[in-house]
Amino acid sequence: MPTIVLLDVSLSMTRPVPGPPGPPGPGQESQESAETFSRLQLAIHGINTLLDYFNLYTKLEFVSLMTYSSICEELCPFTRDFDSIKQKLQSVEDQDKTSIEPALHAVNRLVLKEWGSTTPCHVIIVSDGSCGVTDSSLKHLIDRNTSLHRPPLPFAFPGKLSALIIANPSEPQLTHNLQLFKRLTDLAGGDGAIHTPEGALSISSVQTMVRKMAETEFVSYQGTLRCGCLSSKITLSPHPLPYTHVKDFSTETFTISDNIEVLGFLDLSDIGSPAAVSRHLMLPMGSGVSNHASHTDAKNEDSDDENHDEGKVSSFCVLLHGALKVENMAALCEVADRWFGILYSWADNKKKSNLMLTVLEPGTDPIPWLGDLELLGTVDEGHDDASPLPSFPVRPAEKRSYSQSTVAWIRQAGLHSDIQKILRSARKLPDKTQHFYKELNRVRKAAVQVGFLELLDGLSKIFEKECTALPDKAHPDCALQLTHCASVLREREARELKFTITPLRTSFTSND
Amino acid sequence: MFPANHKTVFVLDHTPQFGSSYDSVVELDMGNKPRGLSMIPLSPIYKSLWTASVEAALEYCRIVWDLFPEKKYVRFVVSDTRGQVLNSWSPGHQNLACIQNQLGLIGVPAPASRSVQSESSIFPGLQAAVDAICQCTDVQHEKRTSLSDNSNKILNRSRVICITTQKDNQSIKNLQDMFIKFVNQSNKKAASSDTLIPINHCHLVILNVTPRNGEPCLVNPVPATDISSTVTSEVHAVLPNGNIAVKLSHLILQHYDLASTTVTGIPMKEEQNASSSANYDVEIFHRSEAHASILKGNAQDTALVRTLREGCEYDTVTLKWCTPRGASASEMHHCTVMHRITPVDVNSRPSSCLINFLLNGRSVMLEMPRKSGGKVLSHMLAAHGGEIFVHTLGTSRSVLEDPPSISEGPGGRVTDYRIPDFGQLMKKNKLLPLKRKRPEGSDSKEDVIMPLDRMRQRLERYTKQWPITISSTSVFNLRPELDPLLNAIVKETISEDEVLQCKQVILSLIAQETRNEPLQPSSSGQRTKGPKRDEQYRQMFAELESLIRSHCRSDQHTAVLNCLLDCRNRADDDPKAKLERKDDKVELDQALRELDQMSASPNPSVNGQRVSVIRATTDSPMSPPAMSGPTLPLSNSRGHSRTSSHSIYSSGPRTVLDFLITTSDSKATRPEFHGLLNSESGPNGSKVAKLYAHLNQDGGKADSSVNEAE
Repeated sequence: MPTIVLLDVSLSMTRPVPGPPGPPGPGQESQESAETFSRLQLAIHGINTLLDYFNLYTKLEFVSLMTYSSICEELCPFTRDFDSIKQKLQSVEDQDKTSIEPALHAVNRLVLKEWGSTTPCHVIIVSDGSCGVTDSSLKHLIDRNTSLHRPPLPFAFPGKLSALIIANPSEPQLTHNLQLFKRLTDLAGGDGAIHTPEGALSISSVQTMVRKMAETEFVSYQGTLRCGCLSSKITLSPHPLPYTHVKDFSTETFTISDNIEVLGFLDLSDIGSPAAVSRHLMLPMGSGVSNHASHTDAKNEDSDDENHDEGKVSSFCVLLHGALKVENMAALCEVADRWFGILYSWADNKKKSNLMLTVLEPGTDPIPWLGDLELLGTVDEGHDDASPLPSFPVRPAEKRSYSQSTVAWIRQAGLHSDIQKILRSARKLPDKTQHFYKELNRVRKAAVQVGFLELLDGLSKIFEKECTALPDKAHPDCALQLTHCASVLREREARELKFTITPLRTSFTSND
Repeated sequence: MFPANHKTVFVLDHTPQFGSSYDSVVELDMGNKPRGLSMIPLSPIYKSLWTASVEAALEYCRIVWDLFPEKKYVRFVVSDTRGQVLNSWSPGHQNLACIQNQLGLIGVPAPASRSVQSESSIFPGLQAAVDAICQCTDVQHEKRTSLSDNSNKILNRSRVICITTQKDNQSIKNLQDMFIKFVNQSNKKAASSDTLIPINHCHLVILNVTPRNGEPCLVNPVPATDISSTVTSEVHAVLPNGNIAVKLSHLILQHYDLASTTVTGIPMKEEQNASSSANYDVEIFHRSEAHASILKGNAQDTALVRTLREGCEYDTVTLKWCTPRGASASEMHHCTVMHRITPVDVNSRPSSCLINFLLNGRSVMLEMPRKSGGKVLSHMLAAHGGEIFVHTLGTSRSVLEDPPSISEGPGGRVTDYRIPDFGQLMKKNKLLPLKRKRPEGSDSKEDVIMPLDRMRQRLERYTKQWPITISSTSVFNLRPELDPLLNAIVKETISEDEVLQCKQVILSLIAQETRNEPLQPSSSGQRTKGPKRDEQYRQMFAELESLIRSHCRSDQHTAVLNCLLDCRNRADDDPKAKLERKDDKVELDQALRELDQMSASPNPSVNGQRVSVIRATTDSPMSPPAMSGPTLPLSNSRGHSRTSSHSIYSSGPRTVLDFLITTSDSKATRPEFHGLLNSESGPNGSKVAKLYAHLNQDGGKADSSVNEAE
C-alpha cells in the first residue's frame, strides 16, 4: 500500500542528541560520538534506512514525503523512485512549532486526490515525540477529534498510522507523550504501532528501530499457487489485507491464506466485471527473495545475478499466465476457506502483461450470474443427464420487473400507453385478435388487482367511442369485437380476478 | 447488522372511507388524435385512495425486490373490520404476482354503510402486523437454530408502514399507543413461545392521507421519535393526487439506503420520426454505496453532479451516457462494487429503451464531469443473466500502475512452455453451473461433495504428471499419436474401449520402434543434435511408464500399464538376446548400462533427462549405437507391479493383443540372408558362409572366403 512519510521539522527536532552519559571511556570511543547529530538528522537517516528496505523488498510500493510543523508541505509526491526522495531529504529545513492536525488533514486531501477513498495507505509519523502546546497540541486534537465537523481521524481512506519516535528512552516526558501517540494511532484505526529506539539515540539504534518496524509492518506476502500437482511460489503486490465482511446477519473477518488453489477455468466473457475487494499482481517468486532473510545487506549485483538464473528456471506461474492470455480465459481460485478470487492476464499497457488476482467478496456467491461457486464443475462429472449443457449466465428464478410487462399506472402516462397499446391492436382486428385480447385482459386484471374498477367502465366507454370513430375502410370485425368487449366490461364477472374476456366468435375469426 | 428493512409490513387502510375518497382524476381522452372533431369528450374517471395506496405500496415492493432478490421481506396486511394478512415471510410469497393476486381477491373496500363504517378501523391491521413481525423469517430461523456461538444474539428489527387517514393528532397518538400496547403484548407472548421471536425494535411509519371529501385534516407531520423503548415512530401528512407514491419513493431511499442516478444524454430515435434522434434522461435507483467513491472526493465535483430531483424530495446524481465502443464484454474492468439497479419509471419509453439496450448484452459507460474540466468514466451499466447492475469503476490512480512484465521475473526467460497444451487442459476443466438448486434439506449439504470440491481431485489427476516445458518431456511431444492414451489415462475411470485404444497406441509405438523410425518428427526445423534414436525411445517409454504408473487407480488403468510392461519386456529381451551373441561388444554396453543404473537408481522414477546427459558424455562418435538395456528402476518397478497385480492378470485370459505381441517375434521380421541359411558351421560354432563361392570355378585363384561373423 502507498506509504506517506510524515516528517516532523519543528524546532525541537533540531536539538542535538546528547552524548552518552559520563565521559566516554577509551574503549567506547566510536565515530558516532565524534560527531553530534540532531534528531532531525537521525530521523533522515532512519527514513533512508526505510527507503533502502523498500528498494530491496517492496519495489512496487509508492512513497510520498511530507514535512510538518505549523504548516504542512508535500516535499515529494508518490513515487517508486526512492532515490529522488533521498535527495529531497537532504534539503529538509527546520521550521517552527509542531502541529499534527493540519498535517493529518493534508494527508487526507493528498490521498483522496491521488488514490481515492478505497485504497489503503500507511502513514508513518517521524517525530521526536514532542506533542506541542495549547491549540496545536496533540492532546488538544485527540480530545476534540470526535466533536469536529470533519475530524482528521479516522482517515477518509482505509489507512493505518504508525509513528517512529526519535527520542532517548530516558527522556522524562516520553512515557506521557507515547501514550498520546498511542491514542492517536488508535483513533486512526488499523493496527499501526509506535516504535522507539532501544538504548541511547544513535544512528545504529535508529536504524535498528526502522528495520524492526519495516520487518513487522511491511511484511511481503509469500505463498504458493497450486493447480492440482503443479505449483509455484508466489508473492502478491500490494500486500493483501484482512477483509471484514459486514452482512445483515453476520460480521466476519477473512484473511488470505498462503495457499492459493486453482479450482477450474472460465471464459473471461462469462465473468464480466465483478466487484473486487482488492486486486493484486501475482508475481512468481525466486528462491532468495524474502524479507526475513538475513542477508539484508545483499548487494545489488548479487540479486541481479540471481534474477538472471531464476529467469531461466521454468515457473508454473508463467505458464498459467501464458495460457490464460492466449485462451482469453481466467482461473477461479480459492484464496481462503469459502473465499474466491479470479486470476487472469492483465496489461497496464499493451506491452507488459502480468498475472492479476482479483479477490472477490467472501462467500460462495460473490458473482450472481455465475451462481453458487460451489456448484461449478465440469460436465462429465454430471454425466447422468443427456440434457443440453448448462451455461452461463445463471439466471435468477424470478424475472425483474423491468424484464417483464409490469403494470405501473402511478404516472398517468403509464396508463395511457397501456390503453393506446390496446387501441392500436384494435384498429388492426381481426389480424391482431390474439394480441388485442391479451393486452385487454392484462389491463383488466391489473385494474381488478389494484381496485381500479372505474377503469373498466372507462375502457368500455373508450371502446364505444372508438367504434363510432372507426374509418370506413376498417374491417367489420373491428366494430363487432369492440362492442362485444364494451358490453362484457360492464358485466359483474368482469370485476372478478379470475375472469378472462374471450374473443367474440364471428365468421371472420373462425379460421383461428 | 440486523437492519430494520429485513422485515417490512405494509398496513393498508381498507375502510370504506378509503374506497370512497378519490386520490386523483384520470383523463381518458388522450387527446393526441383529434380525428372526430365533433366527438363528445369522455368524462374523466376517478382513482380511489385505496387504489393509490395499493399502487404506491406495490411500487415500493417492486423496487425492493428488483434490488434485493433475497433477505428483504415485505408483508401486506389490509385492515377493515379485521386485519387480513395477504402473504407470509416465506420466500415463495415474496413477489409481486402473489401480492397482486391476493389484493385482487380482497377487492375494493366495502361501500360505506353505518355498521361497516363504525366497525372498521386500522387497529386490527396493526395488531396483525405486530403478530407477523413476531414470526421468524427463514433467515432468522436459520440463525436462531444454528449451533454457532452467536446464534441467540440476533435482533428482531422491523418496520411497519401504515397508510391511513386519521382525523387529528390525538387519533394519531391513540394509534401509536395502541401499537405500543400490541408490541408489548406480542413480546410477552413471544417470550414464552419456541417459534415466535420478540420484537427488539420496530420503526412505525405513518402516512396520513388527507381525503378530499372529508373534514379538514389536522394531523401534523412528526419526524422520527422514540415513542417507547421498542418503537420509533414518524408521521407524514400526505395530500392526495399521487403523493402517496411520491412520499414512498422518497422514504424507500432512506429505508434501504438507496440513491438515485440520472443517466443523461441517452440518444433515442424519435417515436414519430425515426430518422432523427433526441437525448433523453432515465432515472435509476440502486444502493447508495455505488456513489460513495465519487461523492467522497472533491466537494466541487460532487456539487457539480448532485442536484435535487425535480418534483421529488431527494438528490440525484447525474451521469452522462457514453456511447459504447464495440464489444467490451470480455475486458475485465476494475470494478470496486456492483449493485442491482431498477428504473424509477419502469414503463416509460426512455426507460425501456435503455433497459432493452442493456438486456441485449451491451454495456454502457457513465461519465462524470469534473470541475477542473475533463471527465472520468465512473460507472458501467451492464446486464448479466437478465439482471442489470451498476458497476462502480475505480476512478483514481491505481497502485498497480506500470507493473513489471511477467517475463522479467523468475521463469520469465523460459521460452518453451507448453502453453497450447495447458490451454487444452484449461478448456477440459472449464467450469459450468451444474445444478441450479441446492439439495433439499440443508443438513444433507454436509454429506454431498460439492462439484467444486470434486474439481480439486480432477485437476490433481490432470496434472499428476505434467511437464511444463517442451524440453522436459518427450511423451507429450508425440501428439496427436498419443492423444487417445493421454486423454484417457487422466480420467477417473476408463472404459474397456478406451483401454483398447491405449493399448493400440502403445503397440503402434513399439512397432514404430521396431521399424526404427525416428521418434520425433522434428517439426521445429532446427537440427539440434539430440539423443540418439533408441535413446529417445528409451526415455519416452520410461516417461510413459511413469505417467501411466502414477495414474494406476483402477483395473483398467493397470491393464494399460501391464500392456506397456509386457511390450517393453519383450522389446527389452530382444536386444539382450542379440547382445549375448555379440560377445565382443558387450563390455562397453555393460558399462553404459551400469552408469544408467547408477544415475537412476536413487530415484525410482526414471529421469529421462538425466540419463540422456550421461549418455551424451560417454558416447563418442566411434561408439556403437547404444542398446536400450533393461535399466534397474524399470525392472524393479516392473517386478513390483507384477506382484501387486499378479492375482488379476498373470493368470488371466490373454487378449488378442497379448497374443499378437508374443507371436510376432522380431527375429522373423526379416528373412535371414540367403548365404547364411545355406552356410555350414565353422570351427568355433559360428556359421560361416562362403562369399564369391563361384570364384574358384572361374579363375582358380586362391580362396577369398570371408569369415563374416568376425
